[in-house]
Amino acid sequence: MSIDINDPAFLNSLIEQESKQTQTRSPYRALPMLALAIAYLIPFYLLLVTVFKSTEEYARKGILELPDGFGPLFGNLQEAWNGADLGRAAFNSLSYASIGSVVAIAIAAAAAYGMTRLRLLGANAWFMLIFTGTLFPFQMYLVPLLFGFQKIGLVNTWFGMLLVYLAICIPFPLLVLRNSFSAISRDMDEAARIEGAGEWRIFTSMVLPNAKGPLIALMLLQFTFIWNDLLFSSILATGTEVRSVMVALQALQGTYSTLGPNVVAAGALISSIPTVALFVVLRKYFMQGLSVGSD
Amino acid sequence: MTQLAQLDRQVLETAKRRERSYAWRQTRVAWVFIAPAVLLVGLFSLLPVAFNVGLSFTKWQRFSGIDEFAGFANYQRLFALPYFSEAMMNTVIWVIGAMVFPLVFGLLLSLVLRNMAFQETIKSLFFLPRIFAPTAIGAIWYYVYAPHGVVNSVVSGVTGSEFDFGWLYVPSTVTGAVIVTFVWQNLGITMVLLLLGLSSIPKDPIEAARVEGATPFQVFRYVVWPLLLPTVMVVTILNVAAGFTTFDLLWVMASDFPGKRTLSLAVYMYYESFGKGAWAYGAAVAVVLGSIVILVSAFLAVVQSRVTKRIQ
Repeated sequence: MSIDINDPAFLNSLIEQESKQTQTRSPYRALPMLALAIAYLIPFYLLLVTVFKSTEEYARKGILELPDGFGPLFGNLQEAWNGADLGRAAFNSLSYASIGSVVAIAIAAAAAYGMTRLRLLGANAWFMLIFTGTLFPFQMYLVPLLFGFQKIGLVNTWFGMLLVYLAICIPFPLLVLRNSFSAISRDMDEAARIEGAGEWRIFTSMVLPNAKGPLIALMLLQFTFIWNDLLFSSILATGTEVRSVMVALQALQGTYSTLGPNVVAAGALISSIPTVALFVVLRKYFMQGLSVGSD
Repeated sequence: MTQLAQLDRQVLETAKRRERSYAWRQTRVAWVFIAPAVLLVGLFSLLPVAFNVGLSFTKWQRFSGIDEFAGFANYQRLFALPYFSEAMMNTVIWVIGAMVFPLVFGLLLSLVLRNMAFQETIKSLFFLPRIFAPTAIGAIWYYVYAPHGVVNSVVSGVTGSEFDFGWLYVPSTVTGAVIVTFVWQNLGITMVLLLLGLSSIPKDPIEAARVEGATPFQVFRYVVWPLLLPTVMVVTILNVAAGFTTFDLLWVMASDFPGKRTLSLAVYMYYESFGKGAWAYGAAVAVVLGSIVILVSAFLAVVQSRVTKRIQ
């Protein structure tokens, strides 16, 4: 069959084909999937209806039944905030996560700079040494860290907890930043060196700004990791002045707790706000972080 | 030797010396740049791991010093105890569950969503559980499975008779129930990664296969699947590692389960070390877990590099 673009029959068949293809993107076909996605989120619906119920209401009503009104929410949040010192714990975790992620990534970036932009003897060996830190499951760190921290008095201290988070959050960003720094042209820093710029200056004002995307993505990932941590903080920092938000949430929820499910749900809600807010605001970078993380 | 040649050599040597001293100076500056990372990672993650291996050969309890060398006693005890083998069995179930279910459902979802309207919205909805902490998710799902919880209410509603089953109290259902929660939380990220992989597959071979008259299944099996394998491997490596080490969900959801220690090796290690204070024994469990994780990851890494090479 010869192709004649002036032939109306041919054009019509093209248009028909095209419309068939767009039909597959018709919004109606997405409806079953939208319904499935909404059904998938029933546990969040449970969370939402539960935080609006009083303890008495929770016991009286069906578990998925709508609450009478919005009234009890404030009381639930207040009880969760005060019970198990969740509020204090949230501030602790906020400081661990924000300071920990920023400092860990700064340290990883400096190391990546030393390994890719400077003539470092045995740069690969140094990299492998640090990268070994990602191979072992965290279960292998716990007993020695507790023992060592007891010896040097770092158990139940804010600084000790931060040191552990820093050590854990360095190796992965180093891997990522080593790749992104290698991709940045070296001509620029050679030129700057000839002009007399110091290494610190080249690092902070030429290399770092060129890796803004991965830096923000990594910060999000590590912030979320530290904020979500239960394992390390439940062993190394259990005192109410230093414990993390997840440890407090677990205490709220635990077997010996006398608080109702409505208060636990309010606690779960409070403890999710920072990471969910960050995700909503920086969604673009979060997705970028995913592809960074899977490379 | 002529004077000129001597001069030449002198110049060359000075240049070399300068070059060498420049390289040396740069190496010293580089040391300053890498020192914080090396010190922190060395002191707070590599040193503990090495120490953990040493501890596993002692008789150390919480309040005694590391006084006595015990040889392989902890390991002998571990392999003789039924708790350990039960924890091991459950860990195997966890790894298989974490590997298979997110992959199968994630693949189905990503294939259906690929050319769909509202793809972004639906994708975000499925991804939502992932941005919550496992501890918070566990706290919510605890009431999904609780007596008078969501599952029991739905079953009661459907069958019309009162149904009240303790999903998280019975050995035969507790592992499966928590795995369901894990899959629920991690399906979204698996799907997003698979969609990323699908979008990087060139359209031409797919079109060519269609023109040749291949069925949709054949197109998937012989064109899409081989090209998607590198992404499948990435997803598998992430999920297998998570399957081995999941702790938060189990600890929070199964906090009332009487046989808690046998839920997985990660839980068993925690229970023995910090619940009972058997530190050396817990360290031995951690060494066994670590060895298995490293062996399996190494195997998966080899498979991954082969798959990637074959495509290029």
